[in-house]
Amino acid sequence: MENILEVKNLCKKYNDFELRNITFNLPKGMIMGFIGENGAGKTTTIKAILDIIKSYSGEIKIFGLDNRKEDKIIKEDIGVVLDDMFFPEILTPVDINNTMKGIYKNWDTKMFFDYLKEFSLLQNKQIKTFSKGMRKKLEIATALSHHPKLLILDEPTSGLDPVARAEIIEIFQSVLEKEECSILLSSHITTDLEHIADYITFINNGEIVLSKPTNELLDKYGIVKCTEKEFLDINRKDYIKYIKTKYEYEVLIENKQVFKAKYNIAVIDKITLDDLMVLMIKGAE
Amino acid sequence: MIGFIKKDLAMIKSNFKLIGILIVVYAVMGLFDKMDISFILPFMSVMIMISSFSYDEYNKWDAYSISLPNGRKNSVKSKYITTILMILLVSIITVIISFLISYINTKTINYEQILVTMFGTVFGTLLVLTFMYPIIYKFGVEKARIGIFLLVFGIVIIGSLLVNYINLSNILKSLVFLEDYLIIILIILTIIMVYVSYKISKKIFSKKEF
Repeated sequence: MENILEVKNLCKKYNDFELRNITFNLPKGMIMGFIGENGAGKTTTIKAILDIIKSYSGEIKIFGLDNRKEDKIIKEDIGVVLDDMFFPEILTPVDINNTMKGIYKNWDTKMFFDYLKEFSLLQNKQIKTFSKGMRKKLEIATALSHHPKLLILDEPTSGLDPVARAEIIEIFQSVLEKEECSILLSSHITTDLEHIADYITFINNGEIVLSKPTNELLDKYGIVKCTEKEFLDINRKDYIKYIKTKYEYEVLIENKQVFKAKYNIAVIDKITLDDLMVLMIKGAE
Repeated sequence: MIGFIKKDLAMIKSNFKLIGILIVVYAVMGLFDKMDISFILPFMSVMIMISSFSYDEYNKWDAYSISLPNGRKNSVKSKYITTILMILLVSIITVIISFLISYINTKTINYEQILVTMFGTVFGTLLVLTFMYPIIYKFGVEKARIGIFLLVFGIVIIGSLLVNYINLSNILKSLVFLEDYLIIILIILTIIMVYVSYKISKKIFSKKEF
């Protein structure tokens, strides 16, 4: 399968934080959920992909092209929403349209104003009068209105209420139905991703912990809930991490079927991305 | 690139009214033969453009601008072009008004004096841009304000020391042969200065991380 985005051995060192050998691929037409707790390295990785930070080692290819050498061509086809608000507050959506019309070759004014209407955003109001949810919708409308082949969205739902979050996730789903687009979507709110992401890439403390198709992850991985005696019988090779709670052990396993065949433990729960994150980050080995 | 210019103009459009008011004040003061404040107008356009850097910084536009096609290059280029366009436009308006005032007050137009004043002002204004913009790109608007203060302070100190220790009038006398070419020299010097300043700013911004 053709990859829209390839990140290989990306390393970046700060005084107090380091990205180590970040490697993952986003296949064409797919949505990748990029998950991890706050400060895990999601935004730094995205900034490296977009050339907002420069002094890193490793290779990043977008549409098969080097992201630093072919910067101009690549960015014509990328739509971006960053984690911070980024439009000058004194501008209006009409100003944003005029600006982007002069920046993107494929800017689609009609599409932009259609989105504004769909999102109930007033065209001539200054952005500073918009709520956080409205600003995000404006940013998303802008990211979508030049028919991008790749959307890079850093925490687009963070800080929003559940209704606005659901609306925004719906927008992404409908975009995928209409346009031939791939999405890299970072979030620490994993429930948003379970239904829409085809792939999950999980970053923790500057390292990629796993990068797999969501189905495979949610179908195969499981949580074994057992007593201490049962836990001690489990071979170290057969689990990934565990947490000892007040009453039981919660053990993260990679393959429910294989585990069931080997051990006689009754309770194996389905996993959610939240469970996965908690066990991976907090669990012992 | 046009898009970046449009964005900068949209950001400062609320200040156009201020420039309009200043132009009217200038015209009225000129008509009543009061103080000549024509130099303030082009200078104001640079100050207004500097405020656009504050907006960019405050709203975290710079990081986003890099994610746009050719963003690193064009955001710097557009700041220079927009500022120069503003200075030229305001200067032309000021010159036209000065001609009118001169004609109304004296029934003749003192072309030479008006144009020399305006050339001097445009040169001075572009000098501010030349020094200020690379400093803004390197250190941000807030620190740049302190930087420009220190710079002016330094120039004044060095200048006064030079005047004390060097016989300036002798140097000026030896440069007198340049007088006929002064305007052309000034124009060439200005173009070189602004170009070098742009190149430095572009270089600084091309390496900047957010």
